[in-house]
Amino acid sequence: MSDTQTYFEIRNLHAETEGIPILKGVDLSIKQGETHALMGPNGSGKSTLANVIMGHPAYEVTDGEIIFMGQNVLELDPEERAQAGLFLAFQYPVAIPGVSVAKFLKSAHDACHPELKSKSSEFLKELRENIKYLEVDDSFINRYLNDGFSGGEKKRMEILQMLTLKPKFAVMDETDSGLDIDALKVVSKGVNKLAGPNFGLLVITHYERILRYIHPDHLHILIEGKIVHSGGPELVKKLEESGYDWVREQFGQEVLVG
Amino acid sequence: MSEAILEAQAADTLPGFDELLFEAIQSEAQPEVLKRKRAEAFSDYIQIATPTNRDEEWRRTDPALFPITEVKRLATLPQLDALPARPADEDFDVVIAVQADGFAIMRNNDTPEKLGITIGSLAEAAEQQPELVEQYLQGKALPAKSGKFEAFNDAFWNVGFFVHIPDNVEWEKGLLIRYNITQPDSLLVPRLVVVAGRNSRAVMAEHLESADDIRFIAVPERELYVDESANFKLVSLQEWGAQSYQITNDWGLVQRDANLNWITLNFGTTRSKMKFGSDVAGPGSAADMDGIFFASGDQHMDQRTLQIHSSPDTYSRLLYKGAVKDVGRSVYQGLIIARPGAIRVDAYQTNNNLVLDNGARADSIPGLLIDADDLKCSHGSTIGNLDPEQLFYLRSRGLDEETARRALILGFFEEVIDRIPQAFIREIVHRNIEAKMES
Ligand SMILES: Nc1ncnc2c1ncn2[C@@H]1O[C@H](COP(=O)(O)OP(=O)(O)OP(=O)(O)O)[C@@H](O)[C@H]1O
Ligand SMILES: [Mg+2]
Repeated sequence: MSDTQTYFEIRNLHAETEGIPILKGVDLSIKQGETHALMGPNGSGKSTLANVIMGHPAYEVTDGEIIFMGQNVLELDPEERAQAGLFLAFQYPVAIPGVSVAKFLKSAHDACHPELKSKSSEFLKELRENIKYLEVDDSFINRYLNDGFSGGEKKRMEILQMLTLKPKFAVMDETDSGLDIDALKVVSKGVNKLAGPNFGLLVITHYERILRYIHPDHLHILIEGKIVHSGGPELVKKLEESGYDWVREQFGQEVLVG
Repeated sequence: MSEAILEAQAADTLPGFDELLFEAIQSEAQPEVLKRKRAEAFSDYIQIATPTNRDEEWRRTDPALFPITEVKRLATLPQLDALPARPADEDFDVVIAVQADGFAIMRNNDTPEKLGITIGSLAEAAEQQPELVEQYLQGKALPAKSGKFEAFNDAFWNVGFFVHIPDNVEWEKGLLIRYNITQPDSLLVPRLVVVAGRNSRAVMAEHLESADDIRFIAVPERELYVDESANFKLVSLQEWGAQSYQITNDWGLVQRDANLNWITLNFGTTRSKMKFGSDVAGPGSAADMDGIFFASGDQHMDQRTLQIHSSPDTYSRLLYKGAVKDVGRSVYQGLIIARPGAIRVDAYQTNNNLVLDNGARADSIPGLLIDADDLKCSHGSTIGNLDPEQLFYLRSRGLDEETARRALILGFFEEVIDRIPQAFIREIVHRNIEAKMES
């Protein structure tokens, strides 16, 4: 089926901000139901890639394309991407004082799933279930979005949003960073609730830890704006043990010189 | 003698607001004390120079913008038996409704009477309790001598109310004063004096409206006296019509251990100049001042706040949030004043502004005037458009740009809206903000 072939695909993606090139030809292809991991040193462009996938206006795409289920993603506004089923769990979610979690989640849900537009009571019921599932305090939903949230609370909030919006393809940008074991388990639990044949996932991480809970089919290494090496899950151990130097030596030549 | 000297000696009156008009007012039947107070105010009024845009206070808002001499002072408003009720009236024990042709005091129950609360026109209160009323007509809430428009108000007021809450009284449902003026080219000069007695607790709300299709000017003055250990809350919702103007002077005097909470919500008028100050005058007293203003179209809103600390161990906190849109213009000027001896003072002043269009402009001028030490003081202001990261965050969750902007703008004001005790006012505030975003 052609859908599984081109579920989510990035081709030769170049992006820059303020005239500075950051992504320099990213290629990535993810099939339906697959989980991929993306690793790479600080500043290599992982978050930029995530933001470009979601349509952040600070980045200009100068070349290449992103195709999701046959749609040219780059033509869509961020909200249209969300409505098409893309989701980004942010590395650093912003606080939005004055906008309550419950209200926001309801309008986001209704915007992404007009066909499921639910009554407030039904929506709240499901929200409460998800909150319980993620072991989050009930008072959460009456607070302002990410406002005064601890680092761990913000990450759970991202996963709560993911469960609420039920995306078809999600990028998780270092959702695991800074989490304690319990929180990490909860986050993984959330992800695994969505996992299945109708879901694709790109996990950006620095650590092997989360990959014990969320098992990637493939792993990619991004260095200086290019995916320089891809492989199976066994790559993780090697990266943890010996860092990125060997990758640079083996695969980064072209990047470093050019 | 040169012309200049001759001019300086002549009475400085606004055309039409002169001896002649004043004599006519004084010939009306009114209690002796009010007549005397008007006369004192008139003599101040003619001596105070009419401000011009060369005065610091009026530099950003030219007094010439206010066509005061082109409107007619409404004749002193008579008291009517009743005026049509509104649904929100039920939330209060007493409602005062004011129209161009008169006002009515409508009591929903006898709670105020049982509690010994005085609510009446200034005339009626001065008639029945002249000594009590006179005590509060000395302008003691004013931090300095009257300015031109305070004296103007005190001399020419055409509707006045006196509210007195006795010591130790808890008044839960309080009073609503609502204005709705539909008379073209009219001038309303409302005067309000509220006294919250020792250890009393009360809430009050004001709702100011006028028709959009009439030119109208209001020159209100409010004086709030919050006695020892009292707790008094006032919310003023200003929705004067699109062709209206206002010049306000409002003052609160807060005694030992008392607490004043004053929320001002400004949406209406084409031009407005508002001055507003509290003096935490007794040790341990506190003032919380919150405000929202939103200037859209070509509205011009100028607000000046004073947080005066006359005693040690006093607290004041001010949060004013404003937005400007289209070619709207706002000016916020805040001053924290700590008088000599006012030690261990906590004073906070924050003014945040959203500038939503390139043609719109917000000026924010915070200030400190400190004659004491050992105090904690901070003031800060921000001016900027919506945060692009916040906007992107909301859009990345499926909210279209317009909805996301709306959520952020409402969210920006929510911190203040949250503090408004009356649900119907919160609703009107939401409606105003949404209407302005759509226009
Ligand atoms: N909006 C921006 N403006 C200017 N420079 C930016 C912007 N976004 C990213 N950069 C720069 O692009 C490079 C890549 O940043 P990015 O955040 O994508 O890295 P990352 O791989 O996610 O790093 P980390 O592992 O630390 O999260 C960095 O040098 C960064 O400073
Ligand atoms: Mg990053």
